[in-house]
Amino acid sequence: MKIFVLNCGSSSVKYKLYAMKNEEVLAEGQVERIGQDNAVISHQSRGKEKVLKTMSILEHTVAIKESLRLVTHPEHGIIASTDEIDAVGHRVVHGGESFSDSVLIDERIKQILDSLASLAPLHNPANVLGIRAAEKIMPKTPQVAVFDTAFHASIPPHAYLYAIPYSVYQRHKIRRYGFHGTSHKYVTQRAAEMMGRDLRELKIISCHLGNGGSITAVKQGRSVDTSMGFTPLEGLVMGTRSGDIDPGAIFYLMEQEDLNLFEIDSMLNKHSGLYGVAGVSDMRDIENGIREGDKLCQIAFDLYEYRIRKYIGAYTAAMDGVDAIVFTAGIGENVPLVRKAICSKLGFLGVKIDPEKNEKRSVDLELSTPDSRVKVFTVATDEEVIIARDTAKIL
Amino acid sequence: MEIRKVAVLGAGRLGRGIAECAAHKGYDVILFSQGARGQDALRRIERSLDRKLAKWAITEPEKRLILGKISYTLDLKELSKVDLVVEATIDQFYTKQELLRTADHLCRPDVVFITTSSTLKVSDLARVISRNDSLVGLHFIPPVPSVPVVEMTTAYNTSSAAIETAKHFASRLGKKVLTIQESPGLVNPRSLMILVNEAAWMLSEGVADVRTVETIIKESWGMRQGPLEIADRLGLDLVLNWMTQLQAEFGDRYAPCPLLRLYVREKRLGLKTRLGFFAYTEDDVLVFEEEQEQED
Repeated sequence: MKIFVLNCGSSSVKYKLYAMKNEEVLAEGQVERIGQDNAVISHQSRGKEKVLKTMSILEHTVAIKESLRLVTHPEHGIIASTDEIDAVGHRVVHGGESFSDSVLIDERIKQILDSLASLAPLHNPANVLGIRAAEKIMPKTPQVAVFDTAFHASIPPHAYLYAIPYSVYQRHKIRRYGFHGTSHKYVTQRAAEMMGRDLRELKIISCHLGNGGSITAVKQGRSVDTSMGFTPLEGLVMGTRSGDIDPGAIFYLMEQEDLNLFEIDSMLNKHSGLYGVAGVSDMRDIENGIREGDKLCQIAFDLYEYRIRKYIGAYTAAMDGVDAIVFTAGIGENVPLVRKAICSKLGFLGVKIDPEKNEKRSVDLELSTPDSRVKVFTVATDEEVIIARDTAKIL
Repeated sequence: MEIRKVAVLGAGRLGRGIAECAAHKGYDVILFSQGARGQDALRRIERSLDRKLAKWAITEPEKRLILGKISYTLDLKELSKVDLVVEATIDQFYTKQELLRTADHLCRPDVVFITTSSTLKVSDLARVISRNDSLVGLHFIPPVPSVPVVEMTTAYNTSSAAIETAKHFASRLGKKVLTIQESPGLVNPRSLMILVNEAAWMLSEGVADVRTVETIIKESWGMRQGPLEIADRLGLDLVLNWMTQLQAEFGDRYAPCPLLRLYVREKRLGLKTRLGFFAYTEDDVLVFEEEQEQED
């Protein structure tokens, strides 16, 4: 069985073609700058040379057509025709309360997806655009939607509700949805595999630390709480997002600086986080700053690390214990300094990591020592394989 | 046709606002102006973006991206390269007629024209060009980047394709498009002129000082700016021009208050001369007179 996985953003399309027998990636690539004359396509089929080209691509249908043309290309491709593709799996960021699992897409599902656009205005419309474009090109091939929010559908009401008037929740569905679900699902499954234990008997805290970041408490394979909320703004300190902040401070600030909704939204999403404190949003720049004695970089790092640690403590309490902590995504996989800072202060939980192993980057590895009561892992996340697996499961 | 390059004719406050807004939404913009003000249009747009940056609305890279999408030229031949034309010059029929005819001659035949005129009828302007079914009236209200509505008018023969193009453009700029019948002054300027004129009369009659009149109107109706500040920012010469045209159309209820005529005669034109009903700093911030005196 061959599954084509599509991840459509507002101006980009990423794709992977899987042979599901061994979950092998047959081809992968991406199209960037859709809507411009100088869109860039990079493509690579297994065992073949990488193709890189620039061309005018004005919309998603053309981008997907072009990616399929490369996948079936006699020289650069890997399959003879798109008929060999059994299904297309789409990443959809927000499933609202309507979807607690992946679904086969039909007309009714598309209508629901359209109605969810206001919950994720930057992502969902692009995801739906990708679905419509793929249908147009492959009308007979089944299309499956895999939601970032679905993994968090198991969170209980006491963790997903905010203590605001219940009628507001009912009217506007304001509640914790959580994000990065596909990543948290993958890395916790992988950690259980690496422990040689059944996921259903484990309590795992998964730390997805990229430019955006979230932490999830996974008990018996199910998400029971997560740090991102109604939007991806809640929770950890991120590259440019504030994470948790007293809502009262927002009202005060709007009054003091005469800011409107758009301005305060932009301030908290684009001017805050590491960038807001230290003036740089990339963790590599923060590390360099610390080495050079920059005080604000040190403060930003401390804030970042402390917030993560606080959530780990909270989720340990929420699950009444923890068996493993997993680090993933850009920072989680590649910044030993962050893992060290967090783990060295979790001695009360019985966390001990091997300093040498902690220096490794971008590999699936156990970092904890044999006598560590809580196991610590770094896992390279793979959201696409989860989308492919879910798609195959639904067929 | 996919619209990517937009021409904005006129680099006044309205034209600059439309250019900034369109560039922010990803359009490539060519700003045309033959007046002296055109020269510093880009600098003024940059200042407007700096104010947004100071209020966190955009980031430094976004500011650079927006500025990079706007170019300024005096050369109308560049019109042959654009996909949409937005005419935003002063509301004088012959000025607009000349400009629209030139653009009509230079642009590809499938290019839709938008006029921002508020006192001239789209039908009258459409008559002067060969693509008379492709002119749509979209009245953007300054400050364009922050006012969420536009008033749309069409001529009797405007094509549905042209209307759709104009609506799509305005929607992409984040504006709610409200369609009204062709009528000089539309809804916004026509109602505003009454308010400004009445406020000016109250000042002339000594009902209250300028700050009191403005504060009562502004705060009792929850306006972000009062009518006199709006008038100052529009330019009192423009306000007088509108009122005169509305008087010709609707009679003496639009007869400009003598105080307004006096200010225009004295070149006390509002923001552009730093003094109108109120005074303004170089950064376009309103200063009440007593504050100014204290500073002096």
